[in-house]
Amino acid sequence: MNDLLYLIALPATLALLSLFIKDVKLTRKLVPVLIWWQLGIVALVLHPCLLGADRMEFISGLAVDKMGTYFILLATFVVSCCITHADYFFAAAEAHGDGYGDQQLRLFYASVNLFLLAMTSVFLCDNLGYLWIAIEATTLSSAPLVYFERNKFALEATWKYLIVCSVGIAFALLGTVFIFAASQRGTLSVPTLNISELISQAHALNFPLLRLGFIFCLIGYGTKAGIFPLHTWLPDAHAESPAPASAMLSGSLLNCALFGIWKVSSIINAAQPHSHVHQLVAILGTVTVVAASLLLLRQHNFKRLWAYSSIENVGLMVFAIGLGSGPLFFLQALNHSLAKVALFLLTGNIIQASGTKKLNKMHGVIEDCPIWALLVTLAAFAVTGAPPFGAFVAEISMLSLSMSDERWVLALIMTVAIAISFVAICAHVGKVILGPAKQGFKKFQPLRASIIPAVLVFCTFVLGLVVNTEAWSGPWSMIK
Amino acid sequence: MILDTFEALAMVAAIFAILILGTTHLRTNLSFYSLHTMAIAAVTAWIANITHEDHLYLVALGVLFIKSFSIPWYLNHVIRKINIGTDGGAFIAAPLSMHLGALMLGLSFVISQQIPGLIGAPDSHVGSTAAMSILFSGVLLMLTRRAAISQIVGFLVIENGIYLFAVTQTHGMPLMIEMGLLLEVLVAVMVAGLLLFNIKKSFEHIDVSQLTDLKD
Repeated sequence: MNDLLYLIALPATLALLSLFIKDVKLTRKLVPVLIWWQLGIVALVLHPCLLGADRMEFISGLAVDKMGTYFILLATFVVSCCITHADYFFAAAEAHGDGYGDQQLRLFYASVNLFLLAMTSVFLCDNLGYLWIAIEATTLSSAPLVYFERNKFALEATWKYLIVCSVGIAFALLGTVFIFAASQRGTLSVPTLNISELISQAHALNFPLLRLGFIFCLIGYGTKAGIFPLHTWLPDAHAESPAPASAMLSGSLLNCALFGIWKVSSIINAAQPHSHVHQLVAILGTVTVVAASLLLLRQHNFKRLWAYSSIENVGLMVFAIGLGSGPLFFLQALNHSLAKVALFLLTGNIIQASGTKKLNKMHGVIEDCPIWALLVTLAAFAVTGAPPFGAFVAEISMLSLSMSDERWVLALIMTVAIAISFVAICAHVGKVILGPAKQGFKKFQPLRASIIPAVLVFCTFVLGLVVNTEAWSGPWSMIK
Repeated sequence: MILDTFEALAMVAAIFAILILGTTHLRTNLSFYSLHTMAIAAVTAWIANITHEDHLYLVALGVLFIKSFSIPWYLNHVIRKINIGTDGGAFIAAPLSMHLGALMLGLSFVISQQIPGLIGAPDSHVGSTAAMSILFSGVLLMLTRRAAISQIVGFLVIENGIYLFAVTQTHGMPLMIEMGLLLEVLVAVMVAGLLLFNIKKSFEHIDVSQLTDLKD
């Protein structure tokens, strides 16, 4: 119980404080420092799980397993990086004369903290009902982040985000009800929504109802994760929110919804391994990757490009879930988060400096700011899964696992789609980076704006070198 | 066929949901929504009475106060502030969509007999029929209406359908979860209402079919 308080106390307090501190400059410095501190607290509280314990239970319905621990650390890390960079982002906006109002910034910092709180609780949930509540809470707390720019486009994006995700998630609630009914109509002594109990007694559940519940949960959480064709909200929300918020949405919010899919798919996998309905997950993942890679070809907006790349990566993660491989799911999520956060932050810098989001108006960033050009190139390689970055290890293990699973058709389609998306992203980034500079950058501080992205790119580079393919490709190895 | 009281109440809720489809007058919509939710609260209380699950009484009270009184009151306040009385235009004319809703009720009856795990529990067919028909009405409302506020009402009706399904089929989920859901719905409606003010302010209309600036 105490441990639980340690985990949530700081974000909750900060959310209140950032609303009431008069001096926004103070909030902008204080919040990043304390969120990094929160990362330390999380690591300290959850260290038993990091050191080998299988799970930690706080109170009934709230527990964390190894994978949850890793995801909490990842989400907190992503938020700390983004919020640290946000200070530069707002300073640059002020320097260019389009600074934001104090009230706007207060709401931003309060929402970020609530958002972190909601995401932390997603990974702490050991109960399908709580999981649903926590995932819906992430939508509600991030809506103000999407609406941050306060213009018509942001308004439209926020409205779509709120309505599409809420309705989508409502179907996940229906799925949850079906799973609860499955636990009542099976041979279980006490009906339950407790995920670990459902997994351990999966054979006692009523399978037809469980299957129905699983499909609804997949659709519901899939909407929130941006699975094709339910992804319509994702590019809008990612493109219209300010860069640090887009980075958080892409780097940590999508993981929450995918974690929900992982949990329900663990239940159905425990009830009946290799059931037909579970095959659906890998197929959905493949379809998403194919669709996203084709959509990537014709993009005109720098941020939408990365949003579609996120959809592609979501497809890859769903594919990993469909293969039943927790470690690969996490490895892909980790690499995607690191590279994509770096990309969104750098893109934010470039957009701020050049004053346009349009891809065809940007040329020759390499002349204006070589260091950004270098980092964007590296991060783009990292996100497309080129060696030697971490995503390469994840993708190659995924493909070889699906080959050995005799799903070589899916693996083949996946390989082609990944290749297409690689070409598409390289072509778009190449046009932005190379050539003569056209846009004339406004005043900017290249080094200060590059620290966080550089650290992230370095992390995913190191991951690519140290992660051992063998250790990650076993179906249930390392993280259970 | 003789209906139990709770089944009759569930049907009343389903019929009110269909009536919401029948008019584009927003305040009437909200009144129907309020009555519809009251019927659902009554179903909950009646099931609590039958099954002696006392926590359901609390849930019924929560549904009554939050979903049946507070939310319609808040949304009424919103439409008074933004000064919009009727839904600008439905994609399918209101009477027609009401008939579609009635058709869906029949369809739900067929579907609810097909749900695999529910076979063998005949007492719940009427309940699940009503729940599913409410769900379909909500979806229909969201698909055919243009005003942003109808989208919110549609979402609320869908949520009610799922809730009714949970109550009639599983006798309610655990108390903590039900309360969490209520809170979540309340917050979602508040956030959507605030957005609505801003949509009205920046676009001078609340027609969501015209929100199409964002494209690839």
